[in-house]
Amino acid sequence: MAHQAHAYHMVDPSPWPLTGAIAALLMTSGLAIWFHFHSTTLMTLGLILLLLTMYQWWRDIIREGTFQGHHTPPVQKGLRYGMILFITSEVFFFLGFFWAFYHSSLAPTPELGGCWPPTGITPLDPFEVPLLNTAVLLASGVTVTWAHHSIMEGERKQAIQSLALTILLGLYFTALQAMEYYEAPFTIADGVYGSTFFVATGFHGLHVIIGSTFLAVCLLRQIQYHFTSEHHFGFEAAAWYWHFVDVVWLFLYVSIYWWGS
Amino acid sequence: MFRAALRLSVSGARSLTRSRPQYTASVAARSYSHGKQETDEEFDARWVTYFNKPDIDAWELRKGMNTLIGYDLVPEPKILEAALRACRRLNDLASAIRILEAVKDKSGPHKEIYPYVLQELQPTLNELGIPTPEELGINKA
Repeated sequence: MAHQAHAYHMVDPSPWPLTGAIAALLMTSGLAIWFHFHSTTLMTLGLILLLLTMYQWWRDIIREGTFQGHHTPPVQKGLRYGMILFITSEVFFFLGFFWAFYHSSLAPTPELGGCWPPTGITPLDPFEVPLLNTAVLLASGVTVTWAHHSIMEGERKQAIQSLALTILLGLYFTALQAMEYYEAPFTIADGVYGSTFFVATGFHGLHVIIGSTFLAVCLLRQIQYHFTSEHHFGFEAAAWYWHFVDVVWLFLYVSIYWWGS
Repeated sequence: MFRAALRLSVSGARSLTRSRPQYTASVAARSYSHGKQETDEEFDARWVTYFNKPDIDAWELRKGMNTLIGYDLVPEPKILEAALRACRRLNDLASAIRILEAVKDKSGPHKEIYPYVLQELQPTLNELGIPTPEELGINKA
């Protein structure tokens, strides 16, 4: 056929799913090799392959959508569903860690002194850097919304400025949190307090870095005129993800930092 | 129920057995603006029932104790007895002794409460073989 008689996107054959799967295999088996034989080569190889896969796969999606016009309304709807489902799965991911936290903190064991925070743990003051971090992320939620409206209204310069500011706030959060990690009087090895604290906030921090990267890609695309005032789903997906990261932080702050102190 | 009291009157001369410390029991654990207010007896009965659950698990024991100790009161000996028996069913001697430490801590400045509670619990402590922190020498930090 010379052209398709439907609005959907029949994707061209692509090697990236295969390279992604191979990367997953190399990273997982590489992890086992590292644990048992002290060599990080396989795992590093997997990591490089993963980064290459992500770069090339998403680059291809941008080409297909922005330059080749394959992202028709029904296709975009499918992408929206996909992003929503993905974020939902991430919500469940974090729910597990919150379950672990509440299980341990509502009924602290005798080994901890039967109290929470456990005996010997000096928790971080929730009204110092953690409160600043909360303000930073909330502000970034405002700036990303500003960016969205700027894009919708065709305000190119404002869109670039507000999106850049959002990313800077994200980086500021990451820097503050890194400093907190360094200065904290307890470590991940400090019983279940340390475990729940660093695993939950650690995965959150990773998601902040992922979200900031996603927004940075959007910034580059905005600068290169990829987005129109009507069609900018990549940005919307990044904004949804960013709001999700912000909400997770609010739960972390209230549960672990505030109630848990 | 040993409530936080604005004024207290402790019974007179010390005798061989301690008399129950007297407190005005007019302050309830919660002061709701409307709705039925739980009486002291209902509160105690609820908590005794909680700890008397035959198949109570370790998490529920710890959760119950933490919630109970979070209230602005010292639990009645009958609640503590039910909790100690739950510890026995769960083979948790550490928590049993910790309960006694918590009673002393919750008493705050009212130093006569702890000896009174120990006196009331003595038969149970003997039956279950639970030593007090003082007997173990761990009451001094």
